Amino acid sequence: MRILFHYENTPGRVGALSQAWPAAQIERATDRPTLVMLAHPHCPCTAASVGELAQIMARLQGRVAAYVLFIKPKGAGRDWDDTSLRRSADAIPGVKVVFDLDGVKARRFGAETSGHTLLFSVDGRLLFSGGITASRGHAGDNAGESAIVALVNNQTPARTQTLVFGCALANRNETGPTALCLK
Amino acid sequence: MFEMSLGASGGNYSVERADELFEQHRQEILRSTDRLFAKVMFFQWLAGILIAFFVAPLTWAGQSSQIHIHVWAAIFLGGAISIFPIWLTRIWPGAAVTRYVISVAQMLMSALLIALTGGRIETHFHVFGSLVILSFYRDWRVLIPATIVVALDHFVRGIYLPYSVYGVLAASPLRSIEHAGWVIFEDVFLVISCLRSIREMRSIANRTAALEASEQGFRQIFEEAPIGMAVVGLDESFNRVNTTLCQMVGYSESDLTQRTTMDITCEDDIPQGKQNAEELLTGGPRSSVERRYIRKNGEVLWMTRTACLMRDVDGHPRNFLIMVEDISERKLAEKALCESKRELEAAHHANQLIMDNSQDVICTMDEWGRFVSVSAACEQLWGYTSAELLGRFHIDLVWPEDKAMTNQVLEVLRLDGKITDFVNRYTRKDGTLIDVLWSASWSETDKIMFCVAHDVTDRARIEKALREAKDEADRANHAKSEFLSRISHELRTPLNAILGFGQLLERQNPTETQRTRVGHIISAGRHLLNLINEVLDISRVETGNLRLSLEPVRVAEALEEALSLMRPLAAERGTELLTPAPLDQSCYVMADRQRFKQVLLNLLTNAIKYSPLDGKVRVSSSATGSGAMRIVVSDTGAGISSEKLVRLFTPFDRLGAEQTPVEGTGLGLALCQRLMQAMQGSIGVNSTLGQGSTFWVELACADSPLERVASAKRNASPSPNGSGAEKLTILYLEDNLSNLTLIEQMLAEQPHIQLITAMQGQLGIELARRHSPDLILLDLHLPDLPGWEVLSRLQRHDATREIPVVIISADATSRQRKRLMAAGARAYLTKPLDMREFFRVIDEICAPRRAEDSVAA
Repeated sequence: MRILFHYENTPGRVGALSQAWPAAQIERATDRPTLVMLAHPHCPCTAASVGELAQIMARLQGRVAAYVLFIKPKGAGRDWDDTSLRRSADAIPGVKVVFDLDGVKARRFGAETSGHTLLFSVDGRLLFSGGITASRGHAGDNAGESAIVALVNNQTPARTQTLVFGCALANRNETGPTALCLK
Repeated sequence: MFEMSLGASGGNYSVERADELFEQHRQEILRSTDRLFAKVMFFQWLAGILIAFFVAPLTWAGQSSQIHIHVWAAIFLGGAISIFPIWLTRIWPGAAVTRYVISVAQMLMSALLIALTGGRIETHFHVFGSLVILSFYRDWRVLIPATIVVALDHFVRGIYLPYSVYGVLAASPLRSIEHAGWVIFEDVFLVISCLRSIREMRSIANRTAALEASEQGFRQIFEEAPIGMAVVGLDESFNRVNTTLCQMVGYSESDLTQRTTMDITCEDDIPQGKQNAEELLTGGPRSSVERRYIRKNGEVLWMTRTACLMRDVDGHPRNFLIMVEDISERKLAEKALCESKRELEAAHHANQLIMDNSQDVICTMDEWGRFVSVSAACEQLWGYTSAELLGRFHIDLVWPEDKAMTNQVLEVLRLDGKITDFVNRYTRKDGTLIDVLWSASWSETDKIMFCVAHDVTDRARIEKALREAKDEADRANHAKSEFLSRISHELRTPLNAILGFGQLLERQNPTETQRTRVGHIISAGRHLLNLINEVLDISRVETGNLRLSLEPVRVAEALEEALSLMRPLAAERGTELLTPAPLDQSCYVMADRQRFKQVLLNLLTNAIKYSPLDGKVRVSSSATGSGAMRIVVSDTGAGISSEKLVRLFTPFDRLGAEQTPVEGTGLGLALCQRLMQAMQGSIGVNSTLGQGSTFWVELACADSPLERVASAKRNASPSPNGSGAEKLTILYLEDNLSNLTLIEQMLAEQPHIQLITAMQGQLGIELARRHSPDLILLDLHLPDLPGWEVLSRLQRHDATREIPVVIISADATSRQRKRLMAAGARAYLTKPLDMREFFRVIDEICAPRRAEDSVAA
């Protein structure tokens, strides 16, 4: 049980975050904040994060542009990323699903753990970085969700960074040095 | 102790048995719930693994992955929680520790699932579900450890790992209390449910115990019933039989259960049996029939078979219940009864035939005298039809004058049960009168009179005519007797004078010539007297008026007297009288002394008269082998032919002797025969023509009277001369001068006797009172008073009462003799007087007086 509890409450790694909208091959919205979630299509824990994203999108009613970037490693099969998780994300209104071949875009955003969510302002500044679940795979109210909603509503959130619980987006050997994101 | 209680169902049952059943039921529930939990826990374990595998089988890092920790947790933690209680259900099913461990484990499983799901509130329902399943144990105590585990888990994890139990990072302690409260809330109802279930189980146990007791009772009734019982399948095969049925048919229980009822049913009864079964199956009522079963030894049994259909709870036919009772003995009795009934009917038919064809009147009447059955002859007798007679009172037909008598006879019939030869008169339908002779019997049991009757109207008329004729004959006979009596008296009176004076002349030394003449007078007188006597005797015998005095008579004495009398005659004819010498003095016969001697004299007279001169007459006596004495008189006469012998005892038939000089009346042997018959004796004759005749008489032997009495009699011989004591005074009342003179002359020779005479009754009485004579001689025909009146007056007067009176009368009828003897006469002498008898009587009467006088002197 101890191992289990440890696993449940141990957050994933966070890479070098970019404080501004990186030069990724996706377009940032200029009329509203842009939310980006980086996800592993097979991560079971991220299903809770996608569920929380659906909650956020429902509460903000189009006042935020959202992307979910599903990584797809090189050499992966054609259908490797055709998962229920991707289909769940694709089904959320206002959310664009984007493939991130070999995690290039994710690395530019500085995310290493599936479920890592970033919120950028209209002018491209990083407003929030972290997970939107309280623990691994646990849906429900959480600080990340509350912060995003508050920021979009031009309110001051309790925190702008949260722990990310999910699978690693890339093999550690491939990602180089990583750092946990700070609260 | 075996305690019995009255359960709610009303039946008696054992409390211990109820407890046992309750415990059995409880153990079954505990074990089944243990098994259920074993399955549930294994399923939970397996389901957890599968769900973990499907929901989060892998954890990823880029393109590489590994088994998700939830899968391992499901395998190992779930296994750690589940395996031990599952094992316990195998080794200790139903044990308390098993269910308590299960209780704890199940709650731990809930805690694990809640933790794995990150405190999803939905997962908490597993707790509630688990509690409900735990309540399947119906043991509210298993809820306690479960509740404790849940509460502790929530409190501990609520404090230290709230996210794992509530899904939130921080939880209020009240939330744990709330969760525990909900658990306890459910516990309350589950405890209530458990307690209710326990009560229901207890009730079921009690009902089951009662049912068992009831079933046991029914089973006992079935097994020990005195009638044969069996549960038979719809195919008629025996499913269950009781002992009585086995004993009835001689098969064992196992033998019977391998057979069908048809196997032991008499072949003739099988179709009826199948029909009965079909009727029951089609909803017919319970059937009860008589059927023949065949015992194992082949014997046929009559049974009463009652069958009913047994249905299951859905109403479908399941079995037949049959009950059989051995009625073989009843059948035998019924058969015997039928035989008896048939015989009775045959007898009744025969009786009816007899009644219908009998010429006699046969009928039965009830106790009230109403006709119950009548024969055809009844219709002819009374003129009514049978229908008119039946039910009618018999007394209604009786002639009114005879009703009272008939009712009395009916009473006698009921008392004695039988009457015979009862005659009464009836009125026929046509009004004519009939005489009916009845014989009847009364059955007290059946209250029935059985009567047989004859129409005796004609017979009654004939009898009446005969009765009248007889009365007429009796009157004529009486007149004849009266005539003979009068003739006898009128003849005897002159004969008395003839013989009396003849005898006096003979005693007065007459000359030879006078003696011869006197002898003729006396002989003729005696012949005439004999003739009169014999006629009278014949008359008396024929009219039944002969009076005999049967007494023991010594044969030798009678013979000697008779022979003594006959010797002069025999000597006169030169006939030799041969007698055995000496005569046996010890032989006595029962006879009238005088009549017996009369018979002997008659036979001897005949023998002497009809024997030739110088003939021989042999007299002998001997005892027969039959208790009788035979006296035989044989002569050497001409004998009697056999043709004449048959007429020998016919009165006045002298068989031709009237042509001979032998005198006779032809009445002697006839009189002898009648006298012998009157003395219960017999007389007979054997005769050979030319050689003589042998007459015999037989009389019953008698015992010898006392010798002293005989001696006294012998000593009482007459003493004509007296002893010379004081003179005796004799008073003689007689109106006939000849008779008076005769007595005076007879007594003149007796110097010790003084004679006083009177020719009138009243004068005689006065003389008697005055002189107190020693003896009175009384004639019955006196001019002023009849002799019996004189005697009566003498008896009534004190002075004359003791004087002995001797009647001297020509009336020799025994009735007259008895009458006067009863009136007080001492002796009765008939005219003509026998002088020897006369003096013997005087001496006999006067001897005591003379003895007294001698003593006084």
